[in-house]
Parts: sequence; C-alpha cells; structure tokens
Amino acid sequence: MSTQRIQPAARHGEPLLAVRDLRVTFGRRGEEPFRAVDGVSFDVRPGQTVGLVGESGCGKSVTSLAIMGLLPTRGNTVEGSAVFDGEDLLSLSAPQMRDRRGADIAMIFQDPLSSLNPVIQIGRQVTEVMERHQGLSRKEAMPKAADLLERVGIPDPTARLANYPHQLSGGMRQRALIAMALACQPRLLIADEPTTALDVTIQAQILALLKELVVETGTAMVMITHDLGVVAGLCDEVNVLYGGKIVERGDRHTLFARPRHPYTVGLLNSIPRLDAPRGEALSPIPGSVADNLPWDSACAFAPRCPNALDVCVRQTPQWDGDDVVGLRCFNPMAVSR
Amino acid sequence: MSASAGLDAARGARTAAPGEVLVEVRGLEVHFPIKSGIIFDRTVGHVRAVDGVDLTIHRGETYGLVGESGCGKSTLGKAILNLEPPTAGSVIFDGVDIASLKGEDLRKERKRFQMVFQDPMSSLDPRQTVEALLLEGMRAHGLDTDKAATHARLRELMSAVGLPPAGLKKYPHEFSGGQRQRIGIARALSVGPDLIVADEPVSALDVSIQAQVINLLQDLQDELGLTYLVVAHDLAVVRHISDRIGVMYLGGLVEESEAGELYDVPLHPYTRALMSAVPVPDPTVEDSREQILLTGDLPSPANPPTGCRFHTRCPWRQETRCDTERPELRVVEVAGASSGHRVACHFAEQIAAGEIERHEVEAELVSEGFGGPDGPPTPPEAYIAP
Ligand SMILES: Nc1ncnc2c1ncn2[C@@H]1O[C@H](COP(=O)(O)OP(=O)(O)O)[C@@H](O)[C@H]1O
Ligand SMILES: Nc1ncnc2c1ncn2[C@@H]1O[C@H](COP(=O)(O)OP(=O)(O)O)[C@@H](O)[C@H]1O
Ligand code: SF4
Ligand code: SF4
Ligand SMILES: [Mg+2]
Ligand SMILES: [Mg+2]
Repeated sequence: MSTQRIQPAARHGEPLLAVRDLRVTFGRRGEEPFRAVDGVSFDVRPGQTVGLVGESGCGKSVTSLAIMGLLPTRGNTVEGSAVFDGEDLLSLSAPQMRDRRGADIAMIFQDPLSSLNPVIQIGRQVTEVMERHQGLSRKEAMPKAADLLERVGIPDPTARLANYPHQLSGGMRQRALIAMALACQPRLLIADEPTTALDVTIQAQILALLKELVVETGTAMVMITHDLGVVAGLCDEVNVLYGGKIVERGDRHTLFARPRHPYTVGLLNSIPRLDAPRGEALSPIPGSVADNLPWDSACAFAPRCPNALDVCVRQTPQWDGDDVVGLRCFNPMAVSR
Repeated sequence: MSASAGLDAARGARTAAPGEVLVEVRGLEVHFPIKSGIIFDRTVGHVRAVDGVDLTIHRGETYGLVGESGCGKSTLGKAILNLEPPTAGSVIFDGVDIASLKGEDLRKERKRFQMVFQDPMSSLDPRQTVEALLLEGMRAHGLDTDKAATHARLRELMSAVGLPPAGLKKYPHEFSGGQRQRIGIARALSVGPDLIVADEPVSALDVSIQAQVINLLQDLQDELGLTYLVVAHDLAVVRHISDRIGVMYLGGLVEESEAGELYDVPLHPYTRALMSAVPVPDPTVEDSREQILLTGDLPSPANPPTGCRFHTRCPWRQETRCDTERPELRVVEVAGASSGHRVACHFAEQIAAGEIERHEVEAELVSEGFGGPDGPPTPPEAYIAP
C-alpha cells in the first residue's frame, strides 16, 4: 500500500481508545447464537474524529454499546478489549463503568427524547451530571449549565433551564443532549447517528456544532452513521463495516477518492449525489444482507460482490493493514479509479 | 422486462397524451382543526398543513416534492389522491374535478391513481399473503374476472418488480425491507394506475437497497408511461428521480423548477439553504463548499409567520415587504432561469444578482407540540405514559 495513504499526524500520539478484536455474541432462545460484532479493532487518538459507517444491522451501535458497557448482559458475550487511557473498559465492574461514563466518555444517541428524562427540567438534567462527576453544588452548576446551553446554540439559555424536554424541538433537544454530554469535558465523545432523526438543515447545524466543539475542546469523537456524506465532511479516519467486521479503513480523502473494497465502492455508486450530472442510472449493490455468507468460512459479502473469486466463498479474507489503513478483501478494486 | 405489455394493456382508456396535463392543483388548502378540552371538543385553531398550492403534473413526468418534515408534503400528496378532503381549492385529474365524482364514477377514477408508502410493513396487512394483497385491489376494481388471466397477471406483477413468483404464497414479514417496498409497488401497479404518488418510497431503506428501488421505479415508468409524484425529504434522491421539483416550506410552494436547473440556479433563499445543507460523499467538496446554515427551527404550521413564511429564518430578509406581504410564485428574469422556473420571493432578482447581502439571523425558539417553551411546563400525561 502506498505510503501517501498514511497521515503523519494520525501516526503520532498514543491512542486514547484502543479497541481490539471486539466480539459480541447474542444468545437467542431456541436459535443459534448471533455474532453481531465479529473481531472489530480500531484506535481513536486524542483530538481525532473516527467514523464507523455501514448500513443498518452491520454492528455499529452494538460496537459502541459494548465499549460503553451498556449492552444487556444476560445471555450475551462480549470478548476482546477496549483500552481507554491504559484501562480495559470491558473488565470494569458496572459501578466503575458508570463513573467513567459521563466523566471521561460521553455518548449521544439518535433519539434525544429517549436519553432525556421527560419529567425533569433541562437545567436539572445538565447540572446533575456536573454534581455527580465534578462535585459541584446545584447552585454552582446552574450558571455553568446556562453557559453550556448557550455554547451549543440554544437561544435564551437561562429561561430554557426551566423547560422540559417536550417543550423543545428535536434539534434543540439534540443540542441539550450535547450540552449534557459536554458537561464534564469528556475526553471521548461517541455519537451514534446523532443527526439521523433530524431534518437536513438542522443536521447541518448540529454537525457544524460538533465539528466546532471537537476543534475547541480537543475531545476525540467516534462518529457512527449510515450516511457517507456525513462521514466525508467530518471524520479524519473512516472505518467501513459489513456484517460485523471492518472491511476497509483509511483517511477520508483516500477512502473517498480511491476506495478499494467492493462494498465501499458499491455504496458510493448507490448514492445519488446532489452535485452529480443528472441522468446517470445508479448502480445498486445486488441482493441484500439476507444473502450474506458466514465470515467463518467465507467473505460475507461474496454473494453480492462483482469481484468475487472462488476463494471468496471458501476462506475468510484476513485484515491486510494496520491501525491507520487497511482492507479485508481477496480481490480489491485496482488502485486507480 | 417482459411484463410490460400485459401490465399496460390492463390499464383503462386514457385521454391525456404524454406531456399533456394530467393533474392540476389549484389553490389547494388542507387545514386540520386543533381540538382542546376534555368535555367540549373545542376547536382552538388550525394546522395549515397545505395552505394555498398551485401545481401542474404532466403525463409521463416525475414531479418531486421536497421540504423539511412537517411542511405538508404528505398531506398534499394525499389530497391529490382524494384521501384527504381539501379545505379549499381543487384537484383536476385528467380534466375532471375529483371532488365532483361520486359512487361508481369515483370508484372507477380511483384505480387510476395509487399510493406507495414509506414504510411498506405498516401499509401491508401482515396476515395476508402477497397474492391476497395484490388481488385485493384488483378485485375491488373488478379486474379479477378471468381466473387464468388473473393468474398470469399476478406473475407479471411479481416479475415487473423483480420478485420470484414463489413469493406470491409468502407473507410480508418473510421479506426484507427492500422486497416489501417492491410488494407495495406491485400492489399499486395491480390496478393499472396512471399516477402513482410515492410518499418517501425509499427513506426507510439502506442506500444499496434504495438504489435498487429507485431504478425499479424509473424502469417501470419508462415501460408503462407512468406519472409519478414523489414526495421525499432527501433532495439528492428527489433530484435524481424527478423531472421537475417543487420545494415546499410551511404549507406552500416556494420554488418550482426543472430538476437540473434547480441545482444550477436555485433562486429561493430556502432552496439555497436546503441544498447547501445536504452532505455530499466527497471530502473535497465538503471542505470547500459554502454552507448557508439556517438558525432555529421550522415555525409551527398552526401559527405560520406573517408575510413571507420564511422571513423568520431568511438570511436575506429585507425591512420592507418580507414580513407583511406573502410572495406569490412568479417567473423571474435571472440568467440561467427558464420560463418554467418559478419562485416565491420578493427579492429573488436582487439576491441572484448579489445586490443584497446575506446577514446573520437570531434564532427563534419553536416548540414541537404541547405549547412550546412558553407554554405549560407540565408534560401532558399521554406524553409521560409510554
Ligand atoms: N440486544 C440484542 N439482542 C439480539 N440481537 C441484537 C441486539 N442488539 C442488536 N442486535 C442485532 O445485532 C446486529 C447489529 O445491530 P446494530 O449494532 O444495532 O446495527 P447498526 O449497525 O444498525 O447500529 C443486528 O442484526 C441486530 O439485530
Ligand atoms: N391528520 C392530521 N391531523 C392533524 N394534523 C395533521 C394531520 N396530518 C398532518 N398534520 C400536520 O400537518 C402538518 C404537515 O404534515 P405532513 O403533510 O405529514 O408533512 P410532511 O409530509 O411534509 O412531513 C404537520 O404539522 C402535521 O403535524
Ligand atoms: S473478498 Fe472476495 S467476495 Fe469479499 S469483497 Fe473481496 S472480492 Fe468480494
Ligand atoms: S421574500 Fe424576503 S424573507 Fe422571503 S425569502 Fe425572499 S428575501 Fe427572504
Ligand atoms: Mg444503530
Ligand atoms: Mg411526510
């Protein structure tokens, strides 16, 4: 692989979060156990924004929930490691993990309503985080909460402290949630489809806000999304997932300009682009994930892949690369595209 | 596809030729009453979901409607199909005012326009096989008289939407999301319609599957000469699939144009903001393009702003006219804008010429339901319960 794909900046600095060989298996009554995440490894360095992108069901949310210790434990197994600042998060007890969440690592979800308490005022929900993790009194925390609301672009912040979540629009609620996530100056922010439920004009506002906050605070971010457009403008490094495995990784410029994995290429060819010449037919990926083969003995994507070789249905393609760039494919696209 | 000839033959006699007007919407309004009170069902106001829309759809074309959620796209689509009674205005379908039709005439006309929904699962009865689902519409319109012909037609329908004939015996839940949308399309086709209103037909699907369904819709249109009204919030999808596009904001059309031209020469400030907000899967483009970030939220359609409805968020708003006078759709003299390009903005020419500067806009708070930031602080019980 050419050396120009490796960004010197990304090479430096110890990872803040190093996820290694993460596997999540769901036990299902009367059925075969289901492996939703199948050996996922990636690094996040301080100040870096790393994207996890793929279609629904590919394991994005389960990956983040496993790292955060938020998966239901009954009948499920989580293997591998997620080392944050020298400590494996997967080995922490539930109370230890609870302390970490909110303080060092915060998460925002697609649906802010489900993460906000409907019967508690916004102000109290924000100050509660500061009380718990910074030992502030409510009186000390209130003005800080108002500052935070202002920082995330909520108009008339002091008055909004007394509002309940239902009194705000979807976009304002997502801002309130971001304010809560930022309340303790986390070093890592995991955003799981934070703009998927919002209109595009509001999405643009929220993405601009997140970009700004990352630059200003130096917080590292994991951006989980199905939208390649969101990734293109936001992420330093992009990981493409398919069927629970990372199939391609690269810095965003290389990945979009010279995608190598047939699935990445297929995705890019499926999207109508606002700036593309009109009248060109889209080239969809044939079939659906229902056609996937088991990774244990094949490439899961083989039944849908235009490049598939005989070996693809008999062997698992191995990861060829490192923590900055890589590919999992027997017959990738030629380098010049 | 081999199915086309048979499917086409099954359609009724038509009068409008390709390119002629098929649907004419005039001054359409759909207002929903807002009820309040437990004992007395008092109407305290109206949601002006569609508030004065004129548009024309030509036979064989795809008309795309875009705009943020809540701007009235779905309601307009339903009103055109006579599924939502208009508060005012009219829908003329192939020369006939739909509202004037009754009984048998209405039933006959009904099969000429069909709807495809966003979520195929919720629009398909889970207890019926695909065969039963497809037969339902045909039966209602007396299209299932000959057993052998019906059988052949069912197979044609399946093949037209790219599903195996064996699928006829299966139930909706046995299919993937993309396949269910194909079933929804087959069902719409089963009665041989002229017009299909597709409401967010691909929004619930993954992008690889989206592309399959978009291509299918386009293939079917080429073969059967269908007319589409595609309602969607995704501007890139709408631009790809449509011949002409109408941009909606708070119940009204603010711009209408040929699809390519809308992107090349957007005239309305809202269209420009909307387009600049759509992320493009290309880092070089993303890094260099100018974004027009709108502040604040969409105002409530129950209490729309006076004058130009966009004036509360418009970065080009002027002191005069904008907040007092509602702009009409009009053709403007701007380089690159053709005579079919209409825009509802008092200052479109000056904005296009760069004579008016963009400025910052203070965000105004808008609530979703239940009274808003200044409304009652206690959440209604219905809200807490789930
Ligand atoms: N709690 C659970 N129990 C069983 N299966 C689950 C659970 N959560 C997720 N899954 C399955 O794991 C796979 C990955 O899910 P998820 O990570 O949510 O996908 P996405 O990439 O869309 O976020 C899916 O097939 C999903 O059905
Ligand atoms: N049956 C109804 N009763 C009351 N209000 C409605 C009804 N249907 C839609 N609305 C309201 O009308 C407005 C327009 O809705 P809709 O046409 O669904 O918008 P869109 O499809 O553009 O998202 C919204 O404010 C919505 O809440
Ligand atoms: S390993 Fe084979 S089947 Fe899988 S993506 Fe590469 S070429 Fe296609
Ligand atoms: S009429 Fe005024 S407020 Fe409305 S879009 Fe034009 S400039 Fe903006
Ligand atoms: Mg998810
Ligand atoms: Mg709608």
